[in-house]
Amino acid sequence: MEIKFNQVGYCYNEQTPLQKEVLKDINIAIIEGKINGIFGKSGSGKTTLVEMINALLIPTVGHIKVDNYIIEKNKKIVNVNTLRCKVGIVFENPEDQFFNTTVKKEIEFGMKYFNYKTDKIEDRIIDALKMVGLDETFLERDPFSLSSGEKRKVAIASILTFNPKVIIFDEPTLGLDYNSKVNLIRIIKMLKNKYNKTIIITTHDVDLLHQLADYIFVLHNKKVVMEGNKNDIFSRVDELKKYDLPVPKIIEFANKVYIQKNIKMGYRDDINDLIKDIYRYVK
Amino acid sequence: MNDLIIIKDLTFCYDKEYIFSRFNLNIKENSWVTLVGPNGSGKSTLIKILLGLYKFDGYISICQKILNTENLREIRSKIGVVFENPDNCFVAETVMDEIAFSLENLEIPKKEIKKRIIEVANLLRITNILEKNPHALSGGQKQLVALASALALEPKILILDEALTKIDNQDKMRILEIIKQLHHEKKMTIVNATHDIEEAVYGDDIIVIDKGKIVLKGPKELVLKEEKIFRELGLGLPFMASLSLKLQYYNLIDKMILDMDELVNVLWK
Repeated sequence: MEIKFNQVGYCYNEQTPLQKEVLKDINIAIIEGKINGIFGKSGSGKTTLVEMINALLIPTVGHIKVDNYIIEKNKKIVNVNTLRCKVGIVFENPEDQFFNTTVKKEIEFGMKYFNYKTDKIEDRIIDALKMVGLDETFLERDPFSLSSGEKRKVAIASILTFNPKVIIFDEPTLGLDYNSKVNLIRIIKMLKNKYNKTIIITTHDVDLLHQLADYIFVLHNKKVVMEGNKNDIFSRVDELKKYDLPVPKIIEFANKVYIQKNIKMGYRDDINDLIKDIYRYVK
Repeated sequence: MNDLIIIKDLTFCYDKEYIFSRFNLNIKENSWVTLVGPNGSGKSTLIKILLGLYKFDGYISICQKILNTENLREIRSKIGVVFENPDNCFVAETVMDEIAFSLENLEIPKKEIKKRIIEVANLLRITNILEKNPHALSGGQKQLVALASALALEPKILILDEALTKIDNQDKMRILEIIKQLHHEKKMTIVNATHDIEEAVYGDDIIVIDKGKIVLKGPKELVLKEEKIFRELGLGLPFMASLSLKLQYYNLIDKMILDMDELVNVLWK
């Protein structure tokens, strides 16, 4: 499914004293079937950018093409709910939006709201729960009594019931402990590899992107200032530093060795490969 | 060094469930303790108990004062605290008024309030947002405002309750460096409750709690050796601790080194 930004800009509270431009001149194309990372500091416009993809926000300048839809100012989108079923968003702190008394009702609510037609609602909910690693016993549980990781999984399951082609995760690891984070990474990888979903992740967690992303867009000062494959982006250490962005620890270490000892260790994804490199150079 | 926080036989129930049962812990003056544990381990509950927000059984003293209703105001004046969601605490319409709020409550003279606001704003690099509404800021900026409000009190103890969770890595490192400076220069005691184990590298000691019990406690270099326990609790290890342990396994170094520059220099002497 094509997602293409064309000269897109966004300004909050346009033509008011509180006017604030957060994005401008965005020209990017999301890579289908891959994990796309939107990387930038807090307040760089990451969330604004992704919320325009399913028309929660409408660009104040330019347009976005999403499948057959054109999202543009002053242009009504016919069947916006169909678009939102194709592009699901798992929000930052999705658990804040829970209001039902059971997990089943919580997930059902979205399907009913979007008037989703299926005669096997419960089967669909169970399938979605299974995809994120939760079983049927969760159906009658109070969503507020779940752990942070389980709540996040329920929020993802709610989105999966629509079988969206594109899933957006807005700061998905915020507030999760290590174990829940590892689980979430596994789920996102599975959604891409097994179900061929296009994934978009906004985050300032550089290590998450290092583990997950195929392709990365870097946002800085309202614009996309870098884009490329993960390896390409993270090997441009000086450029990232110029934008006050971190590099993964493993790359930071290799970079330090290069700067201080003039030894070029190359790009490493895995700590065990780094150890082999160190062993070779030190011994 | 004296024990600044003493907890003896703390017992606390929530919804008929024991969160702490005869829990004991001492935190020394001028120490930097990182309190880690999985979600639901009791970290945040312990912090709220220390702030006098929950009733408990047992004995707690903070800065040589017994934690009870009578001493609560005095104890709180010595503690600066930053929570995970600062939004819930903002009361003023500008950042400047927000920082001034708690100082005014302590009846600090206006001239002194202004001086402290300028100091913390410079320290945390937030002079450009002093006139803004705190609710209109980004997550990271809100956290900086909450930290500024806590530091303006010039507290004896700074408590961070998942306070850096929403801040991006660069700002997080910058803030931890500032806290490190305050810890050394002003002898501020730091208690940082977090599930981000990377933050533990900045402190001195680590306390690992799970299900209301202390599992590990001691200097970070010793505690982080217990890789198995960290993995069992689903906590992971900081990158530098993982790297150090593997390098020790291959006899490339002989001790835990958590500083990257130091490790590079030890490896390539």
